[in-house]
Amino acid sequence: MTIEALLPLLLLLPLGGFLVTAFIGRRFGKSAHWIPVLAILVVWIIAMVAVANVLTGAAPLLPGSEDTHGYVAGPWAWIPAGDLHIDFGLVVDPLTACLLIVVTTIGLLVHVYSIGYMSHDPGYWRFFAYLNLFMFSMLLLVLADNWLVVFVAWELVGLSSYLLIGFWYRKRSAQLAAKKAFIVNRVGDLGFVLGIAAIVVNTAAAGHPTLNVRESIELLLAQGEANPIPLVVVALLVFAGAMGKSAQFPLHVWLPDAMEGPTPVSALIHAATMVNAGVYLIARANPLFASTPSAMVVVAAIGIFTAILAASIAMTQTDIKRVLAYSTLSQLGYMFAALGVGAFTAAIFHLMTHGFFKGLLFLGSGSVIHAVHEEQDMRRMGGLSRKIPITYATMFVGSIAIAGIPPFAGFFSKDEILGEAFKASFYWVWGVGLFVALLTAFYMFRLMGLTFWGSFRGPAAIWDKIHESPRVMTVPLILLAIPSALLGLAIGLPLGSSVLHGWLEPVFHHATELLALPHESYELFGVDGALILASVTVAVAGLVAAWRLFGVDLGRFRAPARPEDVRELSARPGLSFLYRASLNKWWFDDLNHLLFIVIGGRIAAAMWWFDREVVDGTVNAIGRQTVVAGRGLGRVQTGHVQNYALGIALGLIVIAGSYLILTGGPR
Amino acid sequence: MLARLVPILLGLIVMGAVLGIAALMLLALGQDWEDALLWILAAVMLGSGLLVVTMRDIIRCGLAMIVCFLALAGIYTLMGVPLLGAAQVIVYIGAISVLILFAIMLTQTKDAPSRLVFQTQAGVAAIAAVVFAVLIALAVTATDWGAAAKRVGISTNAMSKVLFRDFVFPFEIVSVLLLAAVIGGVFLAKREPGGPS
Amino acid sequence: MSDSLDTYLILSGILFAIGSFGFLARRNAISMLMSIELMLNAVNLAIVAFGVFGAGPDASAQGAVFALMVMAVAAAEATVGLAIVIAIYRNKKTPLVDEYDAMRQ
Repeated sequence: MTIEALLPLLLLLPLGGFLVTAFIGRRFGKSAHWIPVLAILVVWIIAMVAVANVLTGAAPLLPGSEDTHGYVAGPWAWIPAGDLHIDFGLVVDPLTACLLIVVTTIGLLVHVYSIGYMSHDPGYWRFFAYLNLFMFSMLLLVLADNWLVVFVAWELVGLSSYLLIGFWYRKRSAQLAAKKAFIVNRVGDLGFVLGIAAIVVNTAAAGHPTLNVRESIELLLAQGEANPIPLVVVALLVFAGAMGKSAQFPLHVWLPDAMEGPTPVSALIHAATMVNAGVYLIARANPLFASTPSAMVVVAAIGIFTAILAASIAMTQTDIKRVLAYSTLSQLGYMFAALGVGAFTAAIFHLMTHGFFKGLLFLGSGSVIHAVHEEQDMRRMGGLSRKIPITYATMFVGSIAIAGIPPFAGFFSKDEILGEAFKASFYWVWGVGLFVALLTAFYMFRLMGLTFWGSFRGPAAIWDKIHESPRVMTVPLILLAIPSALLGLAIGLPLGSSVLHGWLEPVFHHATELLALPHESYELFGVDGALILASVTVAVAGLVAAWRLFGVDLGRFRAPARPEDVRELSARPGLSFLYRASLNKWWFDDLNHLLFIVIGGRIAAAMWWFDREVVDGTVNAIGRQTVVAGRGLGRVQTGHVQNYALGIALGLIVIAGSYLILTGGPR
Repeated sequence: MLARLVPILLGLIVMGAVLGIAALMLLALGQDWEDALLWILAAVMLGSGLLVVTMRDIIRCGLAMIVCFLALAGIYTLMGVPLLGAAQVIVYIGAISVLILFAIMLTQTKDAPSRLVFQTQAGVAAIAAVVFAVLIALAVTATDWGAAAKRVGISTNAMSKVLFRDFVFPFEIVSVLLLAAVIGGVFLAKREPGGPS
Repeated sequence: MSDSLDTYLILSGILFAIGSFGFLARRNAISMLMSIELMLNAVNLAIVAFGVFGAGPDASAQGAVFALMVMAVAAAEATVGLAIVIAIYRNKKTPLVDEYDAMRQ
């Protein structure tokens, strides 16, 4: 039983789980989770074996490459249609392996968590069916070696996201959020499809049209300037797709609304897996981007702008899940900024660590919401640390990780991003990123302060009923807290040329060559050390500011919350505008509403008027004319014979007369 | 009063003009008497024809028609086909006109003369008729018939030979046709048993 | 004048025109039938004229015989036509054709 033969199982098991649960899951009732969870468990085992082999070099070399180890399955003929022949196969190279770690582990833990979280929901079986569908789509996305299959998986992932966001479909806000997510994704997908088309055009110009990812990128780079569609355009189109899926500005508006879905969905899709698809896409196409520095700058700019935009909004949100959603946006911005400055490994590193600690934070928030009986507003929480200790402890670990405090995972990945940005001379990215790190620490510990410390501000009846979540929910939390704490130490060391760097080097070396980045050795007591000091200082500063304003309670070290200071700060003249802007999400939703709903609605109404009055009017008028003409002509039929006879006589005169005139009379 | 006089006036004017020309031709210009006779007969025919189509009283129309047929018989005789002239008198005046007068009497309504004589399309019809006549006149005069001068005439002998030798089949068929017409006429005009009187 | 074919043909044409005017313009059905008789007579005159002035030994006789046939047919037609008018009169109580509108939609 070779690993290659087991690779298709990675796709078939979740698909099978989805189909079985979708069709007969309702009958299982409370046991509907067994098949999906077992399917994902087997997937996790196979994936971990494959990943281990690939990353340690035990796997065979990939065809067409001298240094990359991996597994290949297929190719299978997909569309054999005459001249158009599309094959696809599955590839597990080190990049896919890193993604697989995140996707399968967090997927499995979310499945287990959902057993507890969704236990009271009547749509229990539906939830697991959709989760399996999502796992199938995501795995297809990272395993595929063909652009078109990636696109199909892209769309499937979007579909699963729609189904899961709108899981409680009777709630109007959930319906709207699901539609919003799908539609905004679609805008990005348009760019992606155009990008794929551009790739086909370019490869066809080279004489060998292909949709295989590796081959097409090689061809595009080989052609260089001779590409009919410039590589910058192709890169930006592909980035447009990534923007939609990974919620970068201006397509970021769907992610906060997507919190309407159940919390496991937010954890899985909107923190750990789907939103990483955009990052994966750009990492996969890294040679293409590396050969177009202008596109890279765009990527970096949009990424870091999203980071600071989202972080600024997260500072004032009152819904616990919204804070985490904006935090996700911000961290995704970091990842794109990393990609944009050429730090591909750093971006993937942050993707992995972020997946774990954001997944942890979301699941933890789910546990909190469950504990306070479906209350999501942080203003009505507080003092929960005593009541739900396991949740509190794991979320504390997650917060420290995301704040970037060593030695937890977030510090390593975030610092690597900022360091690479600085050393690649993208000082503005470094500066903004540093500020965002400060904001990140601030809003995360604001969340902790409002939720877990201080005194409870909700209804007293709830306080007595608060209890810790069942083990099926807390065990995944603990299991996620471990990598949040230790992943950095595991693969981020030694600093400067980490283990992860070694794994991913074969995938990114072409890009690094193209970018001609300076290869200086790591100076812990030089530039790099100074950078580390800067980011740690900034993180601690944010943390301290949050503790000052929102309180802290760590056993002997405690300080009270100061809501009056918060109010006074937010009312100060310069800051009050920022406060209001942040609270209103910088009015982007209102802008979109104005542009598309109001103005678009007017244009649509005008079009409808045009269609109704002009187009239909013309058609109807022609019909009416026919009827009127018929009626008019019908008046010839008087029923009187003499009228008809007169007609005959006149006709005869006309014929005879014209004959006489035309032939000039008989002769 | 005036409306009743108009058609009679029309007919009289036509006849008077033609008669005048005939008299002129005969007496003053010393033309052939055949031509003058033809003028007179033509005048009578056309004049009474006009009266037929324009007079208000339908019985008077029938009588004018009889006069027209008579004039036409005269023209036939003048052309040298006396048998046909005789046939014209016997058939048209003796049979058809009488039939028409009978039909008029059977279908007369009590308040006949006080209503419209003409349809609304009478004006157009008049113009059409005039144009028609002009067209025929133009066509006829423009054609070179290449005809010989008039023959003296046809003897009854010659005609009967042609009729009973060359045209015997159509002759028999016509008699069948007449039989059919008689039967058809009787059947169509028959009163329904127990129907309206 | 009486030696030329044109005269008789023009005469026939004018009589035909008069007959057609009567047919198109009169309201009474019997008047229409009388106009038809006039038209038939006009045609008869034309046929005889062609016969008399035609070339060939039997031409004139043939023309006259044809005219005789026309006369017989005209008689038959007048019979049937008047019978129809009488029958319609019995139903509609009026001899005026513009009140016969059963063919109208």
